[in-house]
Amino acid sequence: MPNATVTSQVQDHTGPTRPPPKRRPRRLTTIFGRHPLGMALAAPYAVFLAVVFAYPLGLAVWISFHDYFFTAPGMKVARPFVGLENYRTALADPAVRRSFLNVIEFLVINVPLTVILALVLATALNSAIRARTFLRVAYYIPYVSASVAVVAVWLFLFSNGGMINQLLGPLAPDPSWLVNSHLAMPVIAVFVTWKQLGFFILLYLAALQNVSRELYEAASVDGAGKLRSFISVTVPGVRSATTLVVILATITGANLFTEPYLLTNGGGPNGASASPVLVMYQRGIEQGSPDVASAIGVILVLGVLVVSVVNRRLLERD
Amino acid sequence: MPDKSGKPGKPGKLTTRNWSQMVALAFGAFIFLFPFYYMLIGSLQKKPDTSIAGAIPVHGVTLDNYAQINERVDLVRSLVNSGIFTGGVILFTVVFGVLAGYALARLHFRGQGVLFALMLLVLTVPFQLLIIPLYVMIVRSYGLADTYLGMILPFAINSTAVFVFRQFFLALPEDLFAAARIDGASELRILWSIALPLVRPALVTAVLLTFIGPWNEFLWPFLVTKDAALQPLAVSLANYISNIAGRAANPYGAILAGAVVLAAPAVALFVAFQKHFTSSELGSGVKG
Amino acid sequence: MKKKVCAAAVITLAMGTTAACGSSGDSGTSGGTSAQTARGPVKVWLSNNKEELTWGKAMVAAWNTAHPKELVTAQEIPAGKSSEEVIGAAITAGNAPCLVLNTAPAAVPGFQKQGGLVSLDSFPDGKAYVEARSGTAADQYKSPDGKLYQIPWKSNPVMIFYNKDMMTKAGVDPSAPPLATYDQFMATSKKLVASGAAPFAIAPSPTSEFFQSWFDFYPLYAAQSDGKQLVENGKATFDSDAGKKVSNFWRTMYAAKLSPQEKIEGDSFADKKAAMAVVGPWAIPVYKGKVNWGVAPVPTSAGMTADKIHTFSDAKNIAMYSACKNQGTAWDLLKFATSKAQDGALLNLTGQMPLRKDLTTVYADYLVKNPAYKAFADQAARTVEVPNVANSIAIWQAFRDSYSSSVIFGKTPVDAGLKTTADKVNTLAGQS
Repeated sequence: MPNATVTSQVQDHTGPTRPPPKRRPRRLTTIFGRHPLGMALAAPYAVFLAVVFAYPLGLAVWISFHDYFFTAPGMKVARPFVGLENYRTALADPAVRRSFLNVIEFLVINVPLTVILALVLATALNSAIRARTFLRVAYYIPYVSASVAVVAVWLFLFSNGGMINQLLGPLAPDPSWLVNSHLAMPVIAVFVTWKQLGFFILLYLAALQNVSRELYEAASVDGAGKLRSFISVTVPGVRSATTLVVILATITGANLFTEPYLLTNGGGPNGASASPVLVMYQRGIEQGSPDVASAIGVILVLGVLVVSVVNRRLLERD
Repeated sequence: MPDKSGKPGKPGKLTTRNWSQMVALAFGAFIFLFPFYYMLIGSLQKKPDTSIAGAIPVHGVTLDNYAQINERVDLVRSLVNSGIFTGGVILFTVVFGVLAGYALARLHFRGQGVLFALMLLVLTVPFQLLIIPLYVMIVRSYGLADTYLGMILPFAINSTAVFVFRQFFLALPEDLFAAARIDGASELRILWSIALPLVRPALVTAVLLTFIGPWNEFLWPFLVTKDAALQPLAVSLANYISNIAGRAANPYGAILAGAVVLAAPAVALFVAFQKHFTSSELGSGVKG
Repeated sequence: MKKKVCAAAVITLAMGTTAACGSSGDSGTSGGTSAQTARGPVKVWLSNNKEELTWGKAMVAAWNTAHPKELVTAQEIPAGKSSEEVIGAAITAGNAPCLVLNTAPAAVPGFQKQGGLVSLDSFPDGKAYVEARSGTAADQYKSPDGKLYQIPWKSNPVMIFYNKDMMTKAGVDPSAPPLATYDQFMATSKKLVASGAAPFAIAPSPTSEFFQSWFDFYPLYAAQSDGKQLVENGKATFDSDAGKKVSNFWRTMYAAKLSPQEKIEGDSFADKKAAMAVVGPWAIPVYKGKVNWGVAPVPTSAGMTADKIHTFSDAKNIAMYSACKNQGTAWDLLKFATSKAQDGALLNLTGQMPLRKDLTTVYADYLVKNPAYKAFADQAARTVEVPNVANSIAIWQAFRDSYSSSVIFGKTPVDAGLKTTADKVNTLAGQS
């Protein structure tokens, strides 16, 4: 369960802060918990989650088990329960299957790249003395800019006659990057890494503050060079942050939509860069089959949950 | 990070400054900034020039591309709409998110675990799965099409921000709270005058995280607003880029100019925030 | 933790069940006779094409002057990449306008299934009006239930534009370049590219949107098959000799790099990136002063005389949406917008061909004054529409996906691709 994942990692991360439970033998406590005020404070958020998240999610799950299409208000139609029919349709569709493979390809490139680059750059930034502010701004800027805006530049850079191909000259791939079925997804993966890296650097920078100085001192006394101390002190020291980065990067990757929608014109070439969310959007909104689209979405969410559990097991095992 | 708190724990101080490291960082920064530079230069050119020399504006610059956008898109109006949309989300998130984050971190009440689990689930579910049920609900059931509230509602309280708040509140030492409780301070008072001032860096982080979402969001406001007078900048520019720029004299230039207009406010705000951001030392919040 | 997760899941599901109950229980009173005679203010959406917008605003202003009690408000379709999804969402939400003056025929079956459209037959003079205006051409627009949910409004019969200057540069006679047969078309294309006159011969958009096949495969298929629709009598027609010839023709164009596999930003014809373009009459005002152009019918395998060639109509129609409260006014407005005078104004401003049976006679003067439109007006008599069948958009998407894979990128065999797609399309067309 990813929930357990993040909680336990969060507690490692922040240190044990929860107090031992105090005794307050009152009956109200057993009904409302120790601080009934907590309910009042959390109420607006709880209501918000119920209305804007749980209800639509429940409806989406319900839709995925019924023959459902959108109707105008007042139009009465039967919506028979169809069991797993929508799931069968979704999984039998080669475009859907390919989109899941695509997103796996995406994650295989994007997640390791993100973790390595973010950790290395965060470590370097952490010890850099000069121009630190400038460097940090530089790394965060892609993260704060709208995808719609930066995609335009990447289009310009990576198009057939674009600057990258001009630089490469005869080495330029043919067909060009964004229409090459082997390269479109990697370009998107690199783009997303580039775009999101600032956020992950931020997480690592925060985690690096918790790595104790003594460990580095001990390592340097042992004669460890910079690389050694990076591997033997920094990497284990930020392990819990790495779990968080991997899980967040996986979730962001699984929700990939804007980039294939805009950068490769709707998952082109020939579906080589279509993501499950994009296919969901096409089936649900463009082609009027929200039932199949919901089934794809439910499969995707389950997949993300499974991947998160596996990640956690792998990363937190000693 | 400049260490104004004077606390130990900076590995950087142990190693001598290393030029190769600086060079690598500078090269990285170049990779990160170059597309933005290219965006700006491309938006100022009369004719698209994809050659390497095109990165240096030798043929002079022009504001024509911007003038063309301004003809079809009411930029000021769109900016105001984006501001209201984003501002509303930030307001809701800061007010209710802080309360919820505090309750989740420091109070013990019934349903706390369920709420926390739901919050984490929110982060894993793609928004596109919810968009249709949400759309039907907000537009049909609540009649909020073409209103700012309809735009804001699905984003009103950013769960990532609640998560960040919770983390920060959780990191504060328990002794502080115990002492205040012994002094007889109410929970609200503890939140307001003890916990909140200590997590100010979290507020900045959360505001920044929250800002990015609605400012850059395209799909939802696009569906909710049919009225051009209410569309935020990301929607009107995406519309311009996909439908109208194709007929402009220099389509690439027009698209890049649109990109600059969309990116500039976010980048400017971020750079302004950045001062705040560095001096308030994010790390100290997580240190405990 | 596990317990809490389960609780969260249970809550979520419970909410969903209530949601389902809530949504299935809502009932309304839209449609019916009361709305059909009601009069009052109405809303319409116009296409975001610049010339058409000018016409639409003038038309609405003229109506408003004459009918101060039934005011019309008009705005552009709030479109992103395609307007169909916006209209579909508006139908679901119940806030669609009364009329959309640019409803794509391919989207009509879907909107109809959603219960979003008002059948025009339900107006006493509905059927008669449409048939009097468009004649038998209106039959192509009838839905499978025999009713009309759209009024055939205007068409953009698709032809080939070529850049005369580039033809000259490539050593081809610019007054009558050989483009009638596939061989001629190919030879001319090769000359254009080899001589350096143009980077590409012709650049139809290679992207995967469902409607892109309307501007590469479909016009040539209409010509090659003597006017067959993609689907007829519930069966795909394209797994045929004609379908194979057209697909293989385009495959050769892509293989020889005479057409680009990558989308060209902007307008490839205006920006001199391609020597030819697949266009409708809207192109005449758009390229005026920008390109020295000539026009030719779409090519066929062995060549045909121009008066035998069919093409894709690229028609846009007007439909009335069930969310409309004042349908009486909306129906009158619809007739006003498609009157002889307004059709003339539309032709004049946009060059698009009103779908009237008497097009060439009623606007004879105009066609004499603007000979450029003559070819399109003649072509308008032989056009093929998209089939009005269930799952129309899904069918076009399935077709496009396979076309993209086999024809544009050459990843899969062309003929076999047509066969598998035909099977898929048959299944889709068979569902209701």
